[in-house]
Amino acid sequence: MALKTKQMKKQPQTERATRKSKFQADLAPAEDRMVRGLKQELQLTSNTDFLSDALALFRWAVWERKRGHRIFSETETGERKELVFPRLERVAPELVLPRVEIPWAPRELESLADLASREPAHPTENLIRAMRG
Amino acid sequence: MAVLIRRLEEQDEVALFDCGGEPLNNYLRRYAWANQQKSFIGVTYVAIDEGAPRTVIGYFTLATASVPRESFPKNYVRGLPPYDLPLVLLARLAVDRRFTGKGLGHALISEAFKIALRVADDVGCRCIITDAYRNRVDWYARYGFVALEGASESGPQRMFLDMRTIRMALKGTQ
Repeated sequence: MALKTKQMKKQPQTERATRKSKFQADLAPAEDRMVRGLKQELQLTSNTDFLSDALALFRWAVWERKRGHRIFSETETGERKELVFPRLERVAPELVLPRVEIPWAPRELESLADLASREPAHPTENLIRAMRG
Repeated sequence: MAVLIRRLEEQDEVALFDCGGEPLNNYLRRYAWANQQKSFIGVTYVAIDEGAPRTVIGYFTLATASVPRESFPKNYVRGLPPYDLPLVLLARLAVDRRFTGKGLGHALISEAFKIALRVADDVGCRCIITDAYRNRVDWYARYGFVALEGASESGPQRMFLDMRTIRMALKGTQ
């Protein structure tokens, strides 16, 4: 499915604040049927409303997963099913730590390379105790 | 005192946190939340007493980094894998003065090791690096951190701990 956004013509300053982006999607026939079916079930008449609701739901799911919350559905009898969606897992905190750049002095890099290429040291008592808890 | 360690949340009370070091206090009060949620450049984990579940009594911050292979001196790369060296940065760790001597630092660093190990399992990471205050070098050394040579004598001491050593410690306990 390819998604495209159309740039609108340059608008005067006053109109710019309310300018809307056009969103165009190339859907496979099965996806198109799915969209139509969902719109009917949800009693939505426009694609804009459909997209807006879908976006709100997706945004909520991303936010929850980003905070480390897991998403479940629960039946009346309490049976639970977890939503596992690979794209959402990309933002899950248990997998993601942010990436930073750190400055290195040349001698520190030599020392780091030396230590990292050696056989690992045996763990200290404190480290073993730390991993035991 | 039952201590819980979890990710920093927006409603957490950080204003009264005092570890005795202004840069560390200031980081928690002013930057930790923004760096976690907005800039996404560091995740902060906080220790809280379950009796006062919003008051932060200790914290640490983690991020990932890597050292490009080409930045290593050529005569030192032989024993390294032919890729950039991925690492976890233990960027900060501090305990509120009112709670020192209760094993909170140990609890925090234990959690940091476990998270680092999870990161290593999930996305790969070779070591943990920290920039220790000079008066805390011995404390980190007790956990196996080794001082890197070449740090400026006035600034913090950069220290290294091999992820394989942490894994050995875990296996030794199973």
